Amino acid sequence: MNVAPPLNPVAPLFEVRGLSKRYLGLTAVDDLSYRVEAGGIVGLIGPNGSGKSTSIDCVTGFQRPDAGDWLLDGQSLARLAPHRIAQAGLVRTFQNVRAYNEMSLLDNLRIAGQEQDGIGWLRALTGGERLKRAQERADERAAGLLGLIGLADYAQAPAAALSYGQRKLLAIAATMMTRPKLVILDEPVAGVNPTMIRHIEQAIRRLNAEGVALIIIEHNVEFVMNLCSRVLVLESGRKIAEGAPSLVRSDPLVLAAYLGKSRGGRQAAAHG
Amino acid sequence: MSGRIVSLSGAAALLLAAFLLAMPTLSGNEYLLALGVSFAMFSVLSSGLNLVYGYAGLLSFAQVGFFGIGAYTTALLVLERGWSHWSAAVAGGILAAAAGFAIGYASLRLSRHAFAIVSLCFALLCMIVARDWVSLTRGSMGIPGLPTPVLQLPGGWQWRVAQPKDFYYLMLGFAIVAQAIFYLVMQSRLGRAMRAIKLNEPLAQSQGINPLAYKLLAIVLSAVLAGMVGGLFVFYLTIVDPSVFDFYYTETMLIMVIIGGPGSFWGVLGSTAVLAALPDLLRFTTDLRMVLYGAILIAVMLVFPGGIGGWLQRRRLARWRRPRGSEALAPDPGGTGSGGAGPGHQ
Repeated sequence: MNVAPPLNPVAPLFEVRGLSKRYLGLTAVDDLSYRVEAGGIVGLIGPNGSGKSTSIDCVTGFQRPDAGDWLLDGQSLARLAPHRIAQAGLVRTFQNVRAYNEMSLLDNLRIAGQEQDGIGWLRALTGGERLKRAQERADERAAGLLGLIGLADYAQAPAAALSYGQRKLLAIAATMMTRPKLVILDEPVAGVNPTMIRHIEQAIRRLNAEGVALIIIEHNVEFVMNLCSRVLVLESGRKIAEGAPSLVRSDPLVLAAYLGKSRGGRQAAAHG
Repeated sequence: MSGRIVSLSGAAALLLAAFLLAMPTLSGNEYLLALGVSFAMFSVLSSGLNLVYGYAGLLSFAQVGFFGIGAYTTALLVLERGWSHWSAAVAGGILAAAAGFAIGYASLRLSRHAFAIVSLCFALLCMIVARDWVSLTRGSMGIPGLPTPVLQLPGGWQWRVAQPKDFYYLMLGFAIVAQAIFYLVMQSRLGRAMRAIKLNEPLAQSQGINPLAYKLLAIVLSAVLAGMVGGLFVFYLTIVDPSVFDFYYTETMLIMVIIGGPGSFWGVLGSTAVLAALPDLLRFTTDLRMVLYGAILIAVMLVFPGGIGGWLQRRRLARWRRPRGSEALAPDPGGTGSGGAGPGHQ
């Protein structure tokens, strides 16, 4: 499980090669390469401003990198629009949780799944047996997911009525509707209380149990160490360490990045 | 619960349609018929704008351009090329749709704001072209004396749309078809995807929804129907001139959508009915007519900032936020820890 990836002969599910993103003088992501195996859970950690979110924005199509390629199941996703990347099976959540606040939870989940069921525009308007079956399947799946995240009674409630943590759960459930191969969670438990963190962890494990690989960006180190089989550490856009959680935790470079060097070094990159 | 509401509004719609269809026989009052024609015409424009603005989230000033393009195209094809009125109106709709696709495709790659500005320029440009391309449009004098439309019906029947009553039925019939199309799209998963894009575009993208495609669908659909209704309406006026591009239309349909509540099919239809009649209902006081009209608009905006539809939506949300028994809605065991419920936290 914790073997160093470059020697792995099996083609990985997801592979990033030489990703770079610069803003004027600032290099946000610097020649970043990594792999995610099928069914794996990879943690992406690093101090604030280390390029975690930028690298995620790049591979999901929300920002255009200056260099690099990335492949999902052998198919290059570089230069594709965000919705194409999502349709290919790479789905993300957002750091500041996003939901369709005015819509019901059920509709939130229906929307998440509707572009993946092969129903075209014309059929969506003319109806028919296939549309009906697809909708029934989606509603069944949505009901199951709402049960899983403990919100079955609120299927008709608007998402705005949920708490912050509950909306994070809803976001994870929504990714499950999209039939993903790889889900990237951007800070799934930031600002969430410990009880809710356990619920979110359960939902993530459930997602993983369905065969979905995950990349988790998170500042809560304990949460990452708990869930992830492998951890990448970024600093200043570069990967400074990679490996099993226990190894990474004691890596001197990582400690320096988080806590600052004892002398002559940079100031610690403080974070919350 | 929601099923009962749907069947209720369905029954109300049928009743309304029956009333509107029977109105000429109940009262031959031509003034009422003229109001009916105006309502039918504006309902197609405002529902189209509702689809583009209330669903796809695009503030658009282009509707009047589509309306006028359809009007000119239909008039010119009938007069100069001898086309039948039906096919000329369809051609007007198609040309309007092509224009909508072009401005949408070009500007939506930038942003929603770019689209709003381009749509405004487009509408102004349409008026300038109609005024200054004299060899085609006959300039600001317009093209008067449009002939009575003669519509070929199935089975070899002909319908001479000559009387106000005939026009009333023509416009009403078209409006009903157009509203049915808008309703179908808004209620379908297509309308749902458009609302998703309006509410949270990055989230929609991250779920595989192509915002550009849905926005263009909304624009093109509203343009086809606006163009066609323009092609029918100018034959009622019997003249087409650059005033079909007048800002009056834009402003009126915007008010209708905003008062009715963007994203609410019935809200916008209702406000269209009221606002189509309101200026005339206020005629008892000619001097104060527009002052009262303005005052009513301001009052409605103050009381219903989200329109009638938005007000209903807020009531629905409030119901879910209300504590149930001793327990609040959120089953979240410890609240959210660092913050309370509600949007915008963090």
